[in-house]
Amino acid sequence: MEPLLGKTYKIVVACGTAIATSTHVAIKLKEMLEEQGISIQTIQCRVQEVPIYADDADLVLATAQVPYDIDKEVVNAIPFLTGIGLEEVIEKIKDILLNS
Amino acid sequence: MDVISAIFDFLTGLGSTVMLPIIILILGLILGQKVGRAFISALMVGVGFVGLGLVTTLLFDGLGPATNALVEKTGLQLNALDVGWGVAAAIAFGTTVGSLVFIIALVINIVMFVLNWTKTLNVDMWNYWHYAFTGSLVYLVTGGNLLLGIIGAGIHCVVSLLIADWTAKDVQNFFKIPGVSIPQGWAITSVPIIKGLNWVVDRIPGLRDVYLDSEGLKKKLGVFGQPIIMGAVLGLLFGLIAYGFDTRVLTLAVQMAAVMVLIPRIIAIFMEGLTPLSESARVFMMKRFEGREFYIGLDSAILIGHPITIAAAIILIPITLLLAAILPGNNTLPAADLAATAFFVSMVPPLTKGNFFRSLLYGTIIMVVVLYVSSAFAPLLTQIASDIGYGVPEGAVQITGLSGGNWIAWVITTISRLIFGN
Repeated sequence: MEPLLGKTYKIVVACGTAIATSTHVAIKLKEMLEEQGISIQTIQCRVQEVPIYADDADLVLATAQVPYDIDKEVVNAIPFLTGIGLEEVIEKIKDILLNS
Repeated sequence: MDVISAIFDFLTGLGSTVMLPIIILILGLILGQKVGRAFISALMVGVGFVGLGLVTTLLFDGLGPATNALVEKTGLQLNALDVGWGVAAAIAFGTTVGSLVFIIALVINIVMFVLNWTKTLNVDMWNYWHYAFTGSLVYLVTGGNLLLGIIGAGIHCVVSLLIADWTAKDVQNFFKIPGVSIPQGWAITSVPIIKGLNWVVDRIPGLRDVYLDSEGLKKKLGVFGQPIIMGAVLGLLFGLIAYGFDTRVLTLAVQMAAVMVLIPRIIAIFMEGLTPLSESARVFMMKRFEGREFYIGLDSAILIGHPITIAAAIILIPITLLLAAILPGNNTLPAADLAATAFFVSMVPPLTKGNFFRSLLYGTIIMVVVLYVSSAFAPLLTQIASDIGYGVPEGAVQITGLSGGNWIAWVITTISRLIFGN
């Protein structure tokens, strides 16, 4: 599927502090998706706050485990930090966003 | 040597808001960034630094008098205010040793990796502040010896890489994240404590068999601890104790909430500047060491989401406050870092096979160590903050941070003081 024109997807980026690793991930995610014509808005939070923000997001991307039952897909963001398996994660994220 | 010291004098004279960006720019260019991008990143770090200075002043102005009042009213000697890891990091990066830490840590890491002394490539640049912290303390207690400061930061860095290697397999298997290790400068100090306590507890009949897993914990975890709420509640609590029923209590509640919200926002700016550098360091090292087995060294923040860690972190907040009040000789008033208690126990679950009981027990003992070390560091940290131009409040109040409750930094600093101090 093609990205919807003018649609901005909302992605929750969670880590331990909502600052360090999530900023790293959010910057890279934005860069990589925008290259492919997908416009996103990121909301950074701590994993403890994921249930608060997940409701109106399309996807949750977390550098730590998310110990809650939520009805949004949770994607592991570690590849954004290590660079290993990053392509696959980006594909997966695109897939979830465009088919949601 | 004269030329070198002249260069350093010049750089030091510029102050950290200028010197740190210059070093970030140079490093970025060496690691192959484009000039434009390297320049923006470097400038962004400078901007983050200026922002941290502004918020820190707000923090001191609001909380300084309240801490004074609290001490007077209760008679508790809690005159060292915990200003949190954001401010502690800003102070650590703000010294001359601090701005050199990126070069020190990268060079040490590359040398150790090439010599096969470590498998960890530590790309978690933000947490270099822990090494900067140690280096800055050594610099201070040795009467401003830059070389010793650099060596102090370097030793902390070496120890971090070694402990990261030591725990890598446990971390990878427990969290199912292949190829990573945790060289974060505080997290590694909890490892010897945890391993030591494991040794002791395994020899106590009865106790050694107590095992609580995380089953059921997941269901009970509420959404807890939005920093803004925690700040307001702590502000109210401290305010009521310090001032009684007074409008200043409400002011303090809002100020404390502001601190919890604003400092992280500003650190995010700092991070925005550091991210490209850490990214290009990773690419640079991975390209040159292709084919070797390596672990990417990451922030302990990636371990924080385990149900045991989150549950233990919540329970540790009241425990820490209670410990602060009853431990003889403790001066630390826990505040800002109470929002980060999860970090203090993040290494326990992977090293105790996910035992909630041990996480709570060890967590409590770790907090005792943390409180004493951060109390011991309070006068030094206050001195450094004032030396680099932060408006530290007058009077009896000192500043410290639970995140600076780093016993390895304490050992390095104490040895330096004994041998080289004046």
